[in-house]
Amino acid sequence: MKRLLRIYRVCVMANLATAVSYRMNFLLNCLITLIGNVLFPLVTVIIYNSNASFAGWTFHEALLIQAVFILSTACASMLFNGIMWSTMSHVVEGSLEVLLIKPAPGLFLLLAQAFNIESIGLLTGGLVIFGYALGGVGGMSLVTWLLFLLLFAAGLLVMLGVVLIVAAISFKWVANSRLPEMFESVKAFGRYPGTIFPRMLVAISSFIFPVSMIAFFPASALIGRWKGYHLAAILPCLLFAGFGVWLYNRMLHSYKSAGG
Amino acid sequence: MEIISVKHLTKQYETYHRGHDARSVFKSLFHREKSVITSVDDLSFQVPQGEIIGILGPNGAGKSTTIKMLTGVLYPTSGEINIMGFNPHKQKNQYVKQIGVVFGQKSQLIWDIPPLDSFHMNKEIYDIPAEDFRKRLERLKEMFEVADIITKPTRNLSLGERMKCEFIMAMLHSPPVVFLDEPTIGLDLIAKQRIREFIQEMNRQGTTFILTTHDLEDVERLANRVLIIHQGKKVYDNSLAGLRLHLGAKKVVRLSAAAPIGNIDYPGVEISEQISDYEAELLIDTGQCALGAFLHRISESVDITDISIKEIPIEKIIGSIYEEPVAAM
Repeated sequence: MKRLLRIYRVCVMANLATAVSYRMNFLLNCLITLIGNVLFPLVTVIIYNSNASFAGWTFHEALLIQAVFILSTACASMLFNGIMWSTMSHVVEGSLEVLLIKPAPGLFLLLAQAFNIESIGLLTGGLVIFGYALGGVGGMSLVTWLLFLLLFAAGLLVMLGVVLIVAAISFKWVANSRLPEMFESVKAFGRYPGTIFPRMLVAISSFIFPVSMIAFFPASALIGRWKGYHLAAILPCLLFAGFGVWLYNRMLHSYKSAGG
Repeated sequence: MEIISVKHLTKQYETYHRGHDARSVFKSLFHREKSVITSVDDLSFQVPQGEIIGILGPNGAGKSTTIKMLTGVLYPTSGEINIMGFNPHKQKNQYVKQIGVVFGQKSQLIWDIPPLDSFHMNKEIYDIPAEDFRKRLERLKEMFEVADIITKPTRNLSLGERMKCEFIMAMLHSPPVVFLDEPTIGLDLIAKQRIREFIQEMNRQGTTFILTTHDLEDVERLANRVLIIHQGKKVYDNSLAGLRLHLGAKKVVRLSAAAPIGNIDYPGVEISEQISDYEAELLIDTGQCALGAFLHRISESVDITDISIKEIPIEKIIGSIYEEPVAAM
């Protein structure tokens, strides 16, 4: 375990060095990612300024859900989204062997090399909105914070699972770059309070494709509005991630490489 | 002692076909014609410790696929591989710690940062003790004379410089077996020479090398033994000297004369190339016509101004093997 942590640290350092070697690109990417994601809560501001609302949710509570969504997206982008793109690129170019010849699990090396510091801008933006939203909500305690962290981690597992499943599919179906877009569309349901959706959609987004865990459930837990089924939805999140890891490792075996 | 044992290794994969006309393209949206390709076909060989073996073959012969199976990257369809007591696919993590790999066309270095950073990454991945890492890096830096370049971004290095760094990456953990997949591809003469000297030096210290290449000079300069693969099958497995005898005991004689050479009709002698009336290249089968007897005879009939005697070029011998595959040896 200590060795894996050392490998992770050295890979992250290499990624940092790579990112800052193109300074202007690094700054622009940070800024563009930040603007692209942080502008979304403006819609909520506009809705509430027009005397409309998400039924049963105050402005700050709705903003909190969207801040958590940004934080989840930033963490996923920083920690593991890169696996998807690097796998696709390795499969297309037939260059995965440079990782497979290393004495460490291939998936772990891809994960370590997927660290993307450019999401730091998004993370910062998310934290600012999160802080602002927290200023207008109550009901928080040590228990709700712990619950929030647990559900937030479960939400990350859902995203990790999806990333691994899409990456694994690319071993067979090489050009599948539109699949992540489909997930982004489905993921968008997690940005809103689940109570505004029909029951069927709530059930699907909780247990079948648990995107509610990305923001709605953790934010609800933080302000003490959590329900029992939020905790039960941790199980499908674990299954998602577990299935992703299993499928990815299985598909690694079918790697064909490219002609030399 | 055998360090590598390969028995009946076979690799098959599926591929798709379609024509280039619009109908075929449209049809391929719904149905694609599959076919099974056998890229390595029942390949068996052994490699003793400390040997340099050259794997030769035309493009698509199965050389790189063989190397990728030996390094544990690709799973064989059938057959057995035993390298230093490891099965590369079942004991991958322990096994890959014991091997080094250089892919001439795929870099292990990180493009935007200096090779030194990539070396440190390998230090952690291979769990190399700090003192061993420092000593080995110092030695390899000295051998390749790269002290000044390893702190520059990889993208700013020449191909030759990058390849030296690839070798350092592959050797930092002191592997007893090293696989080289076209390690000198695209390099200039000086860089090739440096790489070859390095391989020879490491081999003197006991490292076993398995080398695939299209550069026959690599094989002539480095390999004790040659394995030729054609259409996935082994068609030759013996020494380079043995390979030279494949077309028989023949010599190439290049002859220049003061007057037109005319007809040379001796048994065992054929004109392989008539360069001009005054210059020709002859192929002498020394089994039928001893070299001394030929020289004696030719000096009587031709006013020789210059003569050179050479071995048959290895390219020619290998070309003949590709054209008419011999039974596996």
